[in-house]
Amino acid sequence: MSIEAAASSLVVGVLLGGIFSLTALGLSLVLGVMRLVNLAHGEFLVLGAYAGYYLLTVTGIDPLLGLPLIAAAMGLVAAPLYRFLIQPLMGRGVEAPMMTMFGLSIVLQNLYTAAFSADTRSIETGYSALALNLGPVTVGLVYVMGFAISIGIVGLIHLLVSRTAFGRDLRASAQDAGAAAIVGVNVPRVQMLTFALGAACAGAGGTLSGLVNSFTPASGAAYLLNSFAVVVLGGLGSVLGTLLAGITVGILQSLGGVLFGDGYRDLVALLVFLAVLIVRPQGFMAGRG
Amino acid sequence: MARQLKARSAGFAALILALALLGVAPAVLREYDTQILLRMLLALVLAESWNLLAGYGGLVSLGTSSAVGLGGYVLVGLLNHSILPLPVVILAAALSGAVLAALASPGLLRLRGLYFTVGTLALAEALRLVMINVNQFGGATGLFLNRDPPALGALVWIAVGLLLVTLLVMEFCAHSGVSLLLRAVRDDQDVAAQMGVRPFRVKLAAFAAASALMAAAGGLQALKLGAIEPYGMFGLRWSIDTLAMVVIGGLGTRAGPVIGVVLVMLSGELLADYPEAHLALTGLLMMLAMRFAPRGVAGLLAVLPARWRARTTGA
Repeated sequence: MSIEAAASSLVVGVLLGGIFSLTALGLSLVLGVMRLVNLAHGEFLVLGAYAGYYLLTVTGIDPLLGLPLIAAAMGLVAAPLYRFLIQPLMGRGVEAPMMTMFGLSIVLQNLYTAAFSADTRSIETGYSALALNLGPVTVGLVYVMGFAISIGIVGLIHLLVSRTAFGRDLRASAQDAGAAAIVGVNVPRVQMLTFALGAACAGAGGTLSGLVNSFTPASGAAYLLNSFAVVVLGGLGSVLGTLLAGITVGILQSLGGVLFGDGYRDLVALLVFLAVLIVRPQGFMAGRG
Repeated sequence: MARQLKARSAGFAALILALALLGVAPAVLREYDTQILLRMLLALVLAESWNLLAGYGGLVSLGTSSAVGLGGYVLVGLLNHSILPLPVVILAAALSGAVLAALASPGLLRLRGLYFTVGTLALAEALRLVMINVNQFGGATGLFLNRDPPALGALVWIAVGLLLVTLLVMEFCAHSGVSLLLRAVRDDQDVAAQMGVRPFRVKLAAFAAASALMAAAGGLQALKLGAIEPYGMFGLRWSIDTLAMVVIGGLGTRAGPVIGVVLVMLSGELLADYPEAHLALTGLLMMLAMRFAPRGVAGLLAVLPARWRARTTGA
């Protein structure tokens, strides 16, 4: 492989990493605020990808312009899911809601197969084949757009969490839900909104993922694990940490692909995840009760 | 106490009788039914082992497929490249599961439950990707067994033997000091540690034992197939089915795995033409169990008769 191709591959890694930070953000928020490992997060991302695909093929609306629509729809769908599936299980340990979400992921994955077929798809827009030449480096335009939009959304969420009243309630609930409730925070409402926000991020992130890579109804497991690698690497409760971790995982994946071949790209994220678990066994939730 | 002992020996007698019947079954059953019987036996070994981990030890694993796949690959590799007799090879496959658990434990077991679950999933997918990409392990096409596999009937006998071992392990864990240790660690790791229990060792023992049994079951699966490939042997289906069977049957109950295996496989046979519908139904039942019957069907069966009596006498 030439130096130029390797350099392009690394730049693509950085750009993909930006999208990873968005796809992981929803998982991180939900895990941080309600100690819920959303095992259906991968299926939420896949749903976002299908939403973008059908928005384009059925209505002709550009998926990037339709991104707010997709995110809003995902949030609206997720809120009742929280209310009826998760909230009744709160206070019954971490396993019950986690396994409920696992059940949901199985249901969703098989509904996708039944409704959309098992075919591999990707979102093909008019600009999907366009490339940008930046000196020796050549990258697809969709990567640059996906990166810019992801960074923008992650930045907005950072402001939402750090600067607004809702963000203050969210941080309080994450730190100590009991204490937050005592000082008047409506914790179930904050958790529902966080879950909806996480799903909205997954909707947008899923559409962007579908723009840059192909997907199938069974892509959820790989999406989930990729997002989880970013979450453990970046640490919980830090939006900017998630951003840096996403870009790191993107770069490492590209390096893995350049050095060992494309078949190893997905393996890299898994190894990062397992390595972090070994190197930082106390986890990033240590000291938070 | 005497009554309890009597009940237990009666239970053992019934168990031995059932296993003996299973042993005779291949001689009477049709080929297709024997195939299903073998699948049920292997599923039961997996479900019992998973119940040991999750139901008694609080370790919810999504990595059943890693032990199953590893056991299958070790069995085929050893049968192809050594002259070891089959029983030794099956033992080696089981051992590989225990070794995998021991090697993975520094990363997976020191954390609380949340990361264990996703960590086991990551490990399983990582192993699958390694098998797909490394040509020495047969790559995406997999490996063929060079030796003649045993006849289907003999496979059923071996599976019955493995199930017996599994049930003995479960019996030992459920009715000895081990069960106290496991439950102590499951319910409150910190208090258990204060009382002198070493949570890491207890969890590792359960993880290694369950993985060994799962790997042996994977070995038998490979023996039955005669040819293995990474997508099937390391497929997520093993993890999903096993978890679903136990959760639907009754997490942490003795009867749960049997009930779950029968229910899930029965619905699978009834919906054989609609695999997606079967899986979606399984997922739905899991969610319902979590919400309304945390101890699954076994829990409902234990509670409902009493409730029904209370209602009829109260009215």
